[in-house]
Amino acid sequence: MSARLFQNAHIVVPGQSDPQALDLRVVDGVIQAVAPGIAPEPGDERIDCRGGILLPALCDAHVHIREPGQEDAETIESGTEAAAAGGFSRILAMPNTDPPIDTGGMVGFIQSMADRRARIPVSVAGCLTKGREGAKLAEIADMAEQGAVMVTDCNHALQDAYVLRRALEYTRHFDMVVGVYPDTPALSKGGVMHEGAESFRLGLPGIPAMAEEIGIERDLRVAAAVGGRIHIQNVSTAEGVDSIRRWKARGVQVTAETTPHHLLLNHTQLGNYNTHFKMMPPLRTEADQQALLEGLLDGTLDMIATGHAPHTDFAKNLDFNHAPFGIIGLETALPALHTHLIQTGKLTWAQLCRLFSDAPRRLLNLAPIALEPGQPFEAALFDPAAENTITRAALKSRSFNTPWLNRTLHGRVTALYLPRDQ
Amino acid sequence: MKSVSHRKDLLSFDNMTREEALAILDTAKPFKDLFTRSVKKVPTLRGKTVLNLFYEPSTRTRTSFEIAAKRLSADVTNFAVSTSSVVKGESILDTIDTLQAMQVDYMIVRHGVSGVPEYIARHTKASVINAGDGHHAHPTQALLDAFTFREIYPDLQGKRIVVAGDILHSRVARSVFQLMHLLGVEVGTFGPATLIPPTIPDYVNVFTRFEEVLEFDPHVLYLLRLQLERQTANFFPSMREYHRVYGVTDERFRQIRERGMHIMHPGPVNRGVELVDDVMTYERTLINTQVENGIATRMAVLYHLTPEVKSRSHDTEETA
Amino acid sequence: MQENPVLNPEAVTEAVKRLANEIHAAHGDAPIAFVGIHTRGVILADRLVAELRTRRGNIEQGTLDISLYRDDLDNLAALPSIEGSDIPFEVEGATILLCDDVLYTGRTIRAAMNVLLDYGRPKCIQLAVLADRGHRELPIAATWTGIHIPTRRDDYLRVHFKETDGVDDVIHYSRDPA
Repeated sequence: MSARLFQNAHIVVPGQSDPQALDLRVVDGVIQAVAPGIAPEPGDERIDCRGGILLPALCDAHVHIREPGQEDAETIESGTEAAAAGGFSRILAMPNTDPPIDTGGMVGFIQSMADRRARIPVSVAGCLTKGREGAKLAEIADMAEQGAVMVTDCNHALQDAYVLRRALEYTRHFDMVVGVYPDTPALSKGGVMHEGAESFRLGLPGIPAMAEEIGIERDLRVAAAVGGRIHIQNVSTAEGVDSIRRWKARGVQVTAETTPHHLLLNHTQLGNYNTHFKMMPPLRTEADQQALLEGLLDGTLDMIATGHAPHTDFAKNLDFNHAPFGIIGLETALPALHTHLIQTGKLTWAQLCRLFSDAPRRLLNLAPIALEPGQPFEAALFDPAAENTITRAALKSRSFNTPWLNRTLHGRVTALYLPRDQ
Repeated sequence: MKSVSHRKDLLSFDNMTREEALAILDTAKPFKDLFTRSVKKVPTLRGKTVLNLFYEPSTRTRTSFEIAAKRLSADVTNFAVSTSSVVKGESILDTIDTLQAMQVDYMIVRHGVSGVPEYIARHTKASVINAGDGHHAHPTQALLDAFTFREIYPDLQGKRIVVAGDILHSRVARSVFQLMHLLGVEVGTFGPATLIPPTIPDYVNVFTRFEEVLEFDPHVLYLLRLQLERQTANFFPSMREYHRVYGVTDERFRQIRERGMHIMHPGPVNRGVELVDDVMTYERTLINTQVENGIATRMAVLYHLTPEVKSRSHDTEETA
Repeated sequence: MQENPVLNPEAVTEAVKRLANEIHAAHGDAPIAFVGIHTRGVILADRLVAELRTRRGNIEQGTLDISLYRDDLDNLAALPSIEGSDIPFEVEGATILLCDDVLYTGRTIRAAMNVLLDYGRPKCIQLAVLADRGHRELPIAATWTGIHIPTRRDDYLRVHFKETDGVDDVIHYSRDPA
């Protein structure tokens, strides 16, 4: 028997919006007691949390691992090390690798590679269509049998509503989620940032908000007609949030995510053509930021996901038009949300855990984590007082493409506890 | 002695004051006067190296900078950049590192993508002059236009200009808007609604009919070059219709002459599209003057910039 | 810093008159072109021309801006603004009398001669200065000098004219008590 006693902790427990000053005792990976001032028993390993916050470990439903194909940007080891450092005990790996994960065999290969080499458990998503080409459905049943929990073509938005219709119909028998990236390529083609006064000033081709809005509207209309589980990735616009709100009210089975950077940054911040601010969908306006937060608070948007997209220095050092879209996010997500939303009183710890742990876990068919007696102990310890400067040296990811590079955020994950490690 | 402070790069007018813009324009005048001497060269940049780094072909602008630099006695090198170097796995940064090692003092950069000169400027000690980037900015063009405007109207405060054509894709339009506004000129624009986005700066008056342009009565009508490929992207149905609705037709040219408006154009001109042929021989068409003034203005810009290569000591004013 | 007046207003007028007399004696009525170096050399040229116009004709006048020919642009804290040169006569074959307020290292005069030579080939160039403070760095000498003033290298010598400074005088600023 091994027992550990966490003392001086502030614990995010069910039913309380703020962390409570409690102790927590774990025996063989299962929580045995959560109470104030638990008396240590002989043989207990005592852990002084120094007032830190103990919260259910996070789950990220949108991570690009890059292996196989772009191991210079990220590998299963480095990506999951970064996830663990960010407080995540589970991630969903996206299938836009090279070659793409579009067969049962590939899903099985990635899953077994992850089981052997990953720092934390990894769920795998497969492609919706073969080669992510948007034409022919990939072998969805094969992939489901190998454990895939979602099919998605990532940022290759489906041009063809017919393909989306058949995918939503076909997946219904396999309890598989269809992930869609909402876009209207004819409207966004060639764009590299949000279309508006800033894109005019900088002379960069714009991506209008309506490209996303029309995409969401179309995809949800199809889902309303044929059923299936649809998940909208990367929502970035106020109108997009509105659209989801309307279709949810009409009973469509839809979940939706947004990212920390779309919540916390906007298009005025890439003034000096910094490619670390180039992502798809692009950073939008302050009004969109506000609408995304409201959407999360009222349940229209179900979850936060980082969309962690590593790119090498070489790729991000290209000019703004040619540099790839995407930024890393696993290690900055919690400190950034803590600094800008929790410390400012816009979001509670309980809400954060609902959005960044419970909801994504449900999406991946996993039970939510509750820090209460009888439950497996799967938690992150967060020191809210730590000054956390995001430096290259400190990042576990192989890539450094984050807008927070060399900026200081408040708080740092100091430990991650997984049931299998105990 | 009157003087202006040091600036390393000229990328756009974002961080420029009216005083600084006027200082550059004032400096261009004595440079233009040099052209009447038997020796047109001055030794100001003797021993300095100026590099033309053109990722987009442009014989006119490159030649103008080359003559400007040579008249300041600088050594000029044209660095031909293969557009395929990105494909070959060489980033702009690699190129800059190579050039930095060659001890270049000034880099003149033209690139098809907005922001590249700014990016290069951040990574080199050399002074960087933006010779046109994507749709973003073309500051020396706007300066030579303002210089040409000032030769006719020495005080630009309250004067009026209308920039006509494809604003959406024009770096010239953006820079001309910004500089003219900085100099107190009232700015208007005229062109197809597809090519004048609603996101243009608030100070620009948007005209939808040529009659409104006449009512505004600009001192200068500035015509932009229309890229012929815009037609295929459905920005307007045909060249014929563009000319009839937004170009300087024979009838409009008559009205322009009556009012004594001046015509500017950054060149090269599409005859029969932006303007009818007769405009080219009109005595108030300033297109050739703009080209001539380009050299003096670019000399003034080169004189005005200070590379970081050498640090400057404080006061050696007393050299008499 | 010690401040020692070297020439008062009357002495400045006197020195200019003496320079004019010497120049007149040397050149008679032969054609001559006065070229002042911006800023106070231009005023000295104006004063000399005003003196001589009452006695003779055949005088041309111009101004020189040597900013673009300076050899110390890299070392200046701020760029000089350019006034431009104005040489409204044919330099080829002309007798030119360069005018400046203070002669010091000689570098300004070197630059001024370079500018003039880029306009053409003069018959000869002579130099008139109001004050010579020594410390030459180039083999240059004035043809006519208003006053010689021994100075130390880190001293300042300032010529003031009514037109630019509101008063005519020459002041010697030195670090040690005089």
